[in-house]
Amino acid sequence: MSYRKQPKLLGARVRRVEDPRFLMGKARYIEDIELPGMIDAAFVRSPFAHAEILSVDVSEALAVPGVIAALHGQDLSGRVKPTVCDAISDGWQSSEFPALAIDRVRYAGEAVAVIAADNRYLAEDGAALVDVDYEPLTPLASVEAAQEPTAPLLHKGWKGNYFYRDRHAGGDPDLAFSNADGVLEIELATRRHGGIPMEGRGCIAVYDPIERVLTLWSSTQIPHLIRSELANCLGLPENRVRVIAPDVGGGFGPKSHLNPEEVAACVLAMDTRRPVRWIEDRREHMLACFHSREHYHKARVAYSEEGEVLALSAEVTVDCGAYSVYPWTAALDPGMSLFIMPGPYRIRNFRCETLAVATNKCPYGAYRGVARSANCLTIERAMDAVADALGMDPVEVRKRNLIRDEEFPYTSVSGFVYDDTSLIESLDKVCAEADYEGMRERQRLAREKGRLLGIGVVTFIEQTAPAVDEGVPINFRYDSALVRLDPSGSATVQLGTHSHGQGHETTIAQIVADQLTIPLDQIRILYGDTQQTAQGIGTFASRTAVVAGGAAHIASGQVRDMLAERGAHLMEAAAEDVELVDGRVTVRGSGTRGLSVAEVARATYYHPELFPFGWSPLLEAAGTFDAGHGTYANASQIVLVEVDPETGAVEILEYHIVEDCGRMINPTIVEGQIHGGVAQGIGGAFFEELIYDEQGQLLTTSFMDYLIPGPTELPDFRISHLETPSPTSPNGIKGVGEGGAVAPYAIMAAAVQDAIRPIGNVFVNELPLTPERVLGFVDRAAGRTDREARRSG
Amino acid sequence: MDDVLRQGVEIRLTVNGRKHREVVEPRLLLADFLRQRLGLTGTHLGCEQGVCGSCTVVVDGETMRSCLLFAAQMDGSGVETIEGLADDPDRLHPVQQAFWDHHGLQCGFCTPGMVLTAKALLEENPEPSGAEIREALAGNICRCTGYVFIVDSVKAAAETMASNAPRGESP
Repeated sequence: MSYRKQPKLLGARVRRVEDPRFLMGKARYIEDIELPGMIDAAFVRSPFAHAEILSVDVSEALAVPGVIAALHGQDLSGRVKPTVCDAISDGWQSSEFPALAIDRVRYAGEAVAVIAADNRYLAEDGAALVDVDYEPLTPLASVEAAQEPTAPLLHKGWKGNYFYRDRHAGGDPDLAFSNADGVLEIELATRRHGGIPMEGRGCIAVYDPIERVLTLWSSTQIPHLIRSELANCLGLPENRVRVIAPDVGGGFGPKSHLNPEEVAACVLAMDTRRPVRWIEDRREHMLACFHSREHYHKARVAYSEEGEVLALSAEVTVDCGAYSVYPWTAALDPGMSLFIMPGPYRIRNFRCETLAVATNKCPYGAYRGVARSANCLTIERAMDAVADALGMDPVEVRKRNLIRDEEFPYTSVSGFVYDDTSLIESLDKVCAEADYEGMRERQRLAREKGRLLGIGVVTFIEQTAPAVDEGVPINFRYDSALVRLDPSGSATVQLGTHSHGQGHETTIAQIVADQLTIPLDQIRILYGDTQQTAQGIGTFASRTAVVAGGAAHIASGQVRDMLAERGAHLMEAAAEDVELVDGRVTVRGSGTRGLSVAEVARATYYHPELFPFGWSPLLEAAGTFDAGHGTYANASQIVLVEVDPETGAVEILEYHIVEDCGRMINPTIVEGQIHGGVAQGIGGAFFEELIYDEQGQLLTTSFMDYLIPGPTELPDFRISHLETPSPTSPNGIKGVGEGGAVAPYAIMAAAVQDAIRPIGNVFVNELPLTPERVLGFVDRAAGRTDREARRSG
Repeated sequence: MDDVLRQGVEIRLTVNGRKHREVVEPRLLLADFLRQRLGLTGTHLGCEQGVCGSCTVVVDGETMRSCLLFAAQMDGSGVETIEGLADDPDRLHPVQQAFWDHHGLQCGFCTPGMVLTAKALLEENPEPSGAEIREALAGNICRCTGYVFIVDSVKAAAETMASNAPRGESP
């Protein structure tokens, strides 16, 4: 009898096992869950960016037939703790973020009161009748306004309107600047935008007064972290709080926070003893789902005549909005910028000062590629500026500065220990894939015909599954997996992470299948319920394949060893003489077929008498993987665009990507992640902007005025892979979720600048590159030469 | 005014081939009617402003946004939702199958609207070019995929549907 050897699944383009429920409309997102007696909540939100609350009157709302309950800030004061999420730093100022504003509102859209009613239509009717008396205060709607000496202080006990200021230095920047052949200064801005998943935020809170258990269903990436802070805010032990994240319609970072609305929904559920559902609409999402990306950078760059960057000195200012959010704190983007800006380059002298400014805008949270995209923009634009100053090719300048293969592991000036990557190889490869020389020739010919073609080149290194040991309230180094083999020989794997599009039900199963040698369809991956999984952290920061994949690999390896030991005992062989092949425990070299995994499992669970007394009848293991400070992925990209100088429109003609995320579990899923990340990056590079006016009113509250790229705005991306295994993670896996989103800002700025070069030299330094901004750069190029990027004498 | 709002309107309509007779509030959106009254939660609300296309359904043969229609307008109509395409993962519609085979979805939230829009395209234009596919899907936003594999999926579905078509019909 013969049987086919199961091919190794790690690296295979396996079709996703989770897809049918999504394709058939049978997935269960938060709004699809119906519970008996459920009522709907609608929030009353502040129309002012900054105001005192004088009074809140909910009596008219409560009179609406069908309205069941109302809450406002004073009702929660003293009963529910506000969220206090502090970074641990001398430069930090603490502040409180209440679930419902108590005496002051600090951004337009902040939740002031909430109405619960039989359905959402009635809840909105009620919310419209809540009477709030405000005394408007001076709105601080920009970094500049918040830093005016006369600006009112946004939080109690503060000495200025900032959450956090810090600095970092390595090497001797002053000496390097004084010895340099040239120094240039650049300024860059990326405007506020965000992850904007297609499914907005939402939750259902249920309280069981007999068991004293609070259950929160939430559209979240981080169920365990939500449980911890919810328990803290409500004063409950964590074993009486259960958080369930069902199918989640896109995460991207915005769903990795505790939302104040969720705390309020829990209080309503405890008060009314009814399940309370809150599903935000798109306007609420734009106003109040935490924003990202608003960076202002100033950088000085010292370089040699050979094109080596000798020193980098930077000031990073981030508009962090009104509150510090859980679990990231307002130090998230500015703190990370202190260390990541030098990127993949051999820069030995670096200084960075960072400032997290508090303003009357929506709080600032996580979005795919946290701080990376803005820092990639700065360092890559610096490389381009050096190339322009010296008349060198941008590829050549990068090659002269990239860390060389023989230098790994390489300790960066900011203290990262970069391990194996393919920086130079990826740049060479993307030049070959794009036919870079040929592309330059095509550009030259097009320019002769008056067409404005531009080329952008970017190389970056990305810490995936990152964690830091200092300064943060929670250290995210690990995640968990419970692997349980049942008596039939099929496996259930419970993860501490969550999957919301990344395909972990497939990829983690691929890892486990290789360990247990059983078919993919005998493995079920579960996640998202704190009551059913081991303590975990969640899915963000390109971490799940590394940490949950690592944990699942380790735990299923332990179960494999248990199977081998028990199988060996049943076959009266030595444990070291047996192996697990194709779902069977066999004696190595014996030629017999041995015992199937199912036979061993059944014997273990139902016939303990066959084994020595005291052997555990449980074929299960809990595993964790601690990724330390993370793994290092890298990529190089080349883009070709055409600019229309009359309309300011930019067309992407070609987009070439060479990525290296280490060993790939499933190349198709890797490609999907890259496509999606680049698409979001292109959104931020060209279209997406959350625009506030001077009064702190958000002007972009619908998809009519906040533009997300559609199918006709995006090109076919051409991806090829390199696989440089991580030396530290099981299977050599690195993360890939965010990588695509890192480079587009830098690459599009470079390409647009290159395109309009025949008109004149200009330094493209502000995104998104809307037609209006592109025309502004075209005008400046036509009128005068580059002012920002200059070579100082 | 409250009384007017709460007054019921009787409608008779067919949804996925099943006849329904319901009394609805005039302001009840078609999307909410399908989701809450009929339990057809595959129709998703992504913006409630008629822009994102997640709530796309087919009304009397035309793709429409169920967030911009009232249930009361549907009297006498036939509505098709994603649930009407297949009831067994082994018998998916060719468009669904192609999305599965070509990784045309990630989080899945926009997928029902994408699938219904793609199906409508292929019924009208059995051999669309890549550009025609992108144009046809331009009113459906996907935040996960960057659309590359969606376009691949629709191309593949076109091929399957062409090869399944009775001989002599396709050119």
